[in-house]
Amino acid sequence: MEVLQYAIRKLLGGIPLVLGVTFISFLLMVYFGPDKTYELLGKNPTQEQIDEIRHELGYDKPFMVRYGEYLKQMATLDFGASDSTGEPVSKVLARTVPISLALITPGFILGNVLGILLALIAAYHRSGPIDKYIMGFSVVGMSISFLIVVIAFQIIFSSSYGLNAFPVRGWNVHSFSDYLRYITVPTLATIFVALGYNTRFYRAVLVEEMTRDHVRTAKAFGTRPGKLLYKNILKNSMIPIITRIMFSIPLVVVSGSLIIESYFGIPGIGKVTYDAITTGDQPILKAVVGLTAVLFVITLLITDILYRVVDPRVSLK
Amino acid sequence: MSSVAPEPVVDETVVDDGSAHRESIWAKTVYKLRRDRLGMVGLSVVLLYFIVAIGVWLGIWATEWGDVEGPKWAPMSAEYWFGTNIIGQDVFARAIYSTKTAFEVGLVVAVLSTIIGALLGALAGFFSGTWIDEIILWLKGVLDSIPFYLFVAAVAFALSGNPYAMHIAMVSTFWTTTGRLVRGEVIKLKNFEFVEAARAIGVPQVVIIFRHILPNTFHILLVQATIVFVAAIKSEVILSFLGLGVQDGVSWGLMIAESTQEVLAGFFNNFVWASVFLFGLVMAFNMFSDALQDALDPRKVASE
Amino acid sequence: MSSENKTPLLSVRNLVVEFSTRYGPVRAVDDISFDVYPNETVGIVGESGCGKTVTGLTLLQLIPMPPGRIVQGSINFDGRDLTKLSEKEMQEMRGSDISMIFQEPMTALNPVFSVGNQMIDVLRRHKNLTRRQARELAINMLDTVGIPAPRKRIDEYPHQMSGGMRQRVMIAMALSCGPKLLIADEPTTALDVTTQAQVMEQIVKLQDEFHMSMILVTHDLGVVAESCDRAIVMYCGNIIETAAIDDLFHKPQHPYTRGLLDSIPRIREERITELPIIRGMVPDLLHLPDGCRFADRCPRATDECRQDKPVVNIDPVTGNGVACYHPMG
Ligand SMILES: Nc1ncnc2c1ncn2[C@@H]1O[C@H](COP(=O)(O)OP(=O)(O)O)[C@@H](O)[C@H]1O
Ligand code: SF4
Ligand SMILES: [Mg+2]
Repeated sequence: MEVLQYAIRKLLGGIPLVLGVTFISFLLMVYFGPDKTYELLGKNPTQEQIDEIRHELGYDKPFMVRYGEYLKQMATLDFGASDSTGEPVSKVLARTVPISLALITPGFILGNVLGILLALIAAYHRSGPIDKYIMGFSVVGMSISFLIVVIAFQIIFSSSYGLNAFPVRGWNVHSFSDYLRYITVPTLATIFVALGYNTRFYRAVLVEEMTRDHVRTAKAFGTRPGKLLYKNILKNSMIPIITRIMFSIPLVVVSGSLIIESYFGIPGIGKVTYDAITTGDQPILKAVVGLTAVLFVITLLITDILYRVVDPRVSLK
Repeated sequence: MSSVAPEPVVDETVVDDGSAHRESIWAKTVYKLRRDRLGMVGLSVVLLYFIVAIGVWLGIWATEWGDVEGPKWAPMSAEYWFGTNIIGQDVFARAIYSTKTAFEVGLVVAVLSTIIGALLGALAGFFSGTWIDEIILWLKGVLDSIPFYLFVAAVAFALSGNPYAMHIAMVSTFWTTTGRLVRGEVIKLKNFEFVEAARAIGVPQVVIIFRHILPNTFHILLVQATIVFVAAIKSEVILSFLGLGVQDGVSWGLMIAESTQEVLAGFFNNFVWASVFLFGLVMAFNMFSDALQDALDPRKVASE
Repeated sequence: MSSENKTPLLSVRNLVVEFSTRYGPVRAVDDISFDVYPNETVGIVGESGCGKTVTGLTLLQLIPMPPGRIVQGSINFDGRDLTKLSEKEMQEMRGSDISMIFQEPMTALNPVFSVGNQMIDVLRRHKNLTRRQARELAINMLDTVGIPAPRKRIDEYPHQMSGGMRQRVMIAMALSCGPKLLIADEPTTALDVTTQAQVMEQIVKLQDEFHMSMILVTHDLGVVAESCDRAIVMYCGNIIETAAIDDLFHKPQHPYTRGLLDSIPRIREERITELPIIRGMVPDLLHLPDGCRFADRCPRATDECRQDKPVVNIDPVTGNGVACYHPMG
């Protein structure tokens, strides 16, 4: 009950955020975005044809009316059909979102889990040579551009100059082994890039926790290192860890998949969205941006509830 | 050792703004920084790149970056040190010229987003709990929730062809972290006695913010500026690949984007050299930034 | 109490602890020696930063290494030299043979587990008990240290308790495995005055009940007078005087000790967080003088004092000793 009340309050509190995001995006992507009129017309259109198309696309209505319609679409989750293909937006999402999730989830999870593991090792050997190696590796990782990693990995794994063992691009998945073949190179690249940042962040969090008084107390009572690491250090670091993981979810889903999908030619939500921007496919843009904002608000809510789970001092007030 | 904790003042007429204290902190920072070997190596490399960039800017070298002078895809040779690209441009000249582009992007974005972050952060912090704070926090929340590459793409199209679309988009999203950190620090600072003393004797709020509070957040701004610089030149690469990056001139990002077609055909010069140049600068900057953070705050908070 | 015919439980000899810092090595504890006999309470007093906490932590091998390092010395406890034990053997010893309680009850307990959970962990770490048995024992211990309704409070989290209650939980935890030595590092400094007295009283009572020795680190000379058998006075990492309580309070030998005693307020109405200031500055551990470290603040200082450092000479009969060329009469 407490949680439910809290959830409702929190979701209502997220409305200004959703309004802000949709408004700015609407202004940029829809109002000032590319004009589809001439694309849809043949050569030498008459003024009448132009007006008709503009009316169909809704370009002739005043700004606030168009934005209001957008909000109504948000509320009803009915975004109409893609301007480019005529396919209903809901269908486009249902087709592309699962592909993106399948593509980025393994890398996202492994990047965080390995990051935490490396951070634990580094923090445990704080100031020692192992720590220095791990942190050195992580600064190097942070300094390499994602694109460079992607290209280099493609040369190494997918080209005749390297192992030539994986598909160069595309998404022709009919079985689990196809799936593994197609996600390997993008996943390795994602992990490589995420690992530098993650290891560094998690190490800082863990080291900070290690210097706390309660850790010293636990040591003074003979707690074994393994238990100390788990019960005093990892458990107590859960709040920043959860924060980082949760808040990167909405961004990774769209931004992360956008780069990988564009480069590897994978038909996920990132690629569809990018194409929608370049062609001015407004229904798709409206849906993606609006739903991302909602995803953000829901993420905030779940994060708060998770805080409550890991730390008894947090109250859902 | 907390960042800056100015001494309280009793004197009624002279309001100390913590400047004496600040001086000693800077002296200490410089001392620590100079003893940090990796940090000094990083700084030297950054300065070397900067000299290269100034040389380009003054037209001393790499003026032939745009000329089509050689055969296509020439290998590395005495004439073309790094070979040539698909239309026969000298990869070495282009890599050198791109150093200037990188500094342009990095400096413009770092300086502007730091200024905006400092101003909005200070305002939000000083008026924390009021509607001013609410609005700034809301704006920050909104900008943080729009996926970055979508936002840049949208700005680029909205400004249709403006060469600074990329810079504008980066500045409008990169200030938020700086803003948050400054806000937190200002909330801490404004309860210090020197600020209360200033307020008590009727110093105007604007003066308090700019003369007494903001200078005490300088350590945050400096570190954040180095972080944003790195983020900007790294983002430029991705944006150039997406076709949203540098519009005129050449950049490492454009060279790498260009190379995506070449590498599968076995021509690596563009890719390798642009990557090496980019990696060198980013790595050096990261090393310097780390040393700076260490020197300013030995505990190094886990905020980012 | 320091009867010569008994063997000490703890015997520290020539202990030196150094920290490496950016500005050079710092000797936080510099060549100290002292004994603690069974059932005895030894107070360690001195100004903030003189090395009291480092001394206590070093006994348990708990100083962070690096930057810390035991440069030399031995710590004989119950027939074993703790500096020679492996980390594993040391872990067995912590919390069972030697326990330590800390100054900050607000942060010393793990905030995300209930106090019962943490007490049970300690009990089961050192004793072969089921969860249920450990829980019963923990409830008993909470009762022993004077926590009302222990059966209910055992499931509370630290943040639901007051500072005094948390410190009692710490004491309960520290005593739960029946240690031979308790190191109490300013156990009441962070508490308010009334609670201070109650908690201190509880500690003294339990020390007797449990037949332990205790090292009581404190700022508060009043506490030393009430609860210790002997006291050690530290200054800049050195022991400068050690004496039985009566001797120390009635015939202090070192000018520094004298200064401390003179500055105790007659009526202890307010809590004393810092030892009262004696004129002058404590020298910086990085730039110590060659001679007596107290010379710059000492009214009796002579040239001799500034040349060589005085060392403590223990009187074999009384067990008292002082490091001073011109001790007070
Ligand atoms: N981790 C550490 N690193 C460096 N120096 C330390 C460390 N811990 C303690 N010290 C030094 O040891 C000295 C003694 O500290 P401490 O034992 O805590 O004093 P106190 O008598 O107040 O308990 C301090 O002056 C401090 O400079
Ligand atoms: S040795 Fe000299 S300076 Fe030191 S305490 Fe004794 S009299 Fe004072
Ligand atoms: Mg202490």
